[in-house]
Amino acid sequence: MSGTMTPSRTALLVALLVPLATGAAQAQENTPDDPRLFTPGKLTVATSDPVFPPWMMDNDPSNGEGFESALVYALAEEMGFDREDVVWVRETFDQAIAPGAKNYDFGIQQISVTEERSQIATFSDPYYLPEKAVVAMPGSPVSEARTFEDLRDVRWGVMLGTTDLDYVAEIIGVDDAAVYNDQVGLFQALQGNQIDAVATELATALYLTAVQVPDAEIAAILPHDENDYGHGLIFEQGNELVEWVNEAIATLQSEGVIDALVAEYLIADPDLPVITQ
Amino acid sequence: MSLGVSPQGSTGGDPDGGSRRPLPPAKKKLSATERFVPALISITMVLLVFGIVAVTVTSAEQWPRIARQFFDLGAMAASFPQVLRGFWLNIQIWVICLFGIMALGLVLALFRALSGPWFAPLRVFTVVYIDIFRGLPVLLLVLIFGFGIPALNLPGLPNSALFWGATAMVISYAAYSAEIYRSGIEAVHDGQWAAAKALGLGQWQTMRYAILPQAVRNVIPVLLNLAVALQKDVALLSVIGVRDAVREAQIYTAQTFNYSSLIAAALLFLLATIPMARLTDYIARKDRQRRLQGVL
Repeated sequence: MSGTMTPSRTALLVALLVPLATGAAQAQENTPDDPRLFTPGKLTVATSDPVFPPWMMDNDPSNGEGFESALVYALAEEMGFDREDVVWVRETFDQAIAPGAKNYDFGIQQISVTEERSQIATFSDPYYLPEKAVVAMPGSPVSEARTFEDLRDVRWGVMLGTTDLDYVAEIIGVDDAAVYNDQVGLFQALQGNQIDAVATELATALYLTAVQVPDAEIAAILPHDENDYGHGLIFEQGNELVEWVNEAIATLQSEGVIDALVAEYLIADPDLPVITQ
Repeated sequence: MSLGVSPQGSTGGDPDGGSRRPLPPAKKKLSATERFVPALISITMVLLVFGIVAVTVTSAEQWPRIARQFFDLGAMAASFPQVLRGFWLNIQIWVICLFGIMALGLVLALFRALSGPWFAPLRVFTVVYIDIFRGLPVLLLVLIFGFGIPALNLPGLPNSALFWGATAMVISYAAYSAEIYRSGIEAVHDGQWAAAKALGLGQWQTMRYAILPQAVRNVIPVLLNLAVALQKDVALLSVIGVRDAVREAQIYTAQTFNYSSLIAAALLFLLATIPMARLTDYIARKDRQRRLQGVL
């Protein structure tokens, strides 16, 4: 049949089909069938392995519990996905920032948005602005600290890949903090008396002192760093889905959904001392 | 046999009676073509192969981004001071560990080489030591020593991660160097033992004056090779919080998501290891010449 098709008929068919095709693509954008999705029909989300409370519970992102897991399901619902259509993949922090194609739509693992990082990766608008906390063992020199001056002369430890090192260096003025690969190493060093104080995000500190290292305590809350824009979702650079996701974040924010999740998972003891200078 | 020629042939009945060695063959004079064509082919091939690799890599769609994220000169320069500071720490740890490893390895090898029933416990200890510490990944040892021992909070012992990490490196690498020394000791001909004993030297004296000097000279190239490997493995201490060159580079990468700092660290390591590799080659060549002279 195709052999008998005249050029004019082909042209006519193309003229009819092309607007149809582009019209269909436009109609699909910002819906679960968006062709720009890693797998159209699914929202593929990456997170670290393991994941820690209060961000996610039981090392299972798909249970909808914990701040970030609940947030992703709220976002997915806002964007029109069913619960079953959220697909989780696991990756390390290094994989998250590595160049090259990603096997997911966006990643969520408490990645802080900064100016420098934004030149390499694409971030969503921040969904949470964390406070910092000082964690120490009881009787540590930082337990009685009330000023930055008191915090300067102790041995600090932070985790690689966090903005905590910048925080300790620039806000407190300590430039020889030990840097560990993961939380486990960090708190092993704290218990082994290799470091006196750990700077970490308040939510992480809450979980650590409640579950991982019950002997440790939050010594103080520190003020927010202005250069740290807060946690954002990480996208492969140039990924066009970010605007759609930003709309969803804005909606969740205006409806108070995110505040409710913060209240549920990320609230500290109001009596903790706050060190601001 | 009536001819009186020994089994070695010409040596016994040397016709010219004087020099017993044949003259080396005269060097053939190469023509210009014979000299330049192979060099030309080598150069062309090198350029061709590396050229194809370079073109393939840089024509990749992702190349501009890779270039920006890995080979950004500005980022390399920005991260260089902190990476260099970390690298200085690498060098210090390396030198100190190297002394420890060479000394401990030698002691272990000597324990193992001693014969006689009285030394059986030392030999057993050494065999077990080498089996265990050569069998465990260095990274594992660094983690166990660096985090485990300080956590015991033992009184009187330091709890610095650097100290225990370096100890783990020494313990692990000493197992390898002990085996290297042992192979050097075993390579010394049995006749040397017999000769030393015939002179009335005791076991320790034989080892000290007859065997060890030869054994150590035998294994210097291999030990240098171990030293090169150690130089890079010092970077493993970063996992226990030591801010060496690799860790400083990772810190920069984590801050900026730019990997150029890792390339800067890589260049520093190359700068240190390549001269050492050449030195190893040189010493190995000298050593070979020395031995061949002894034979010829």
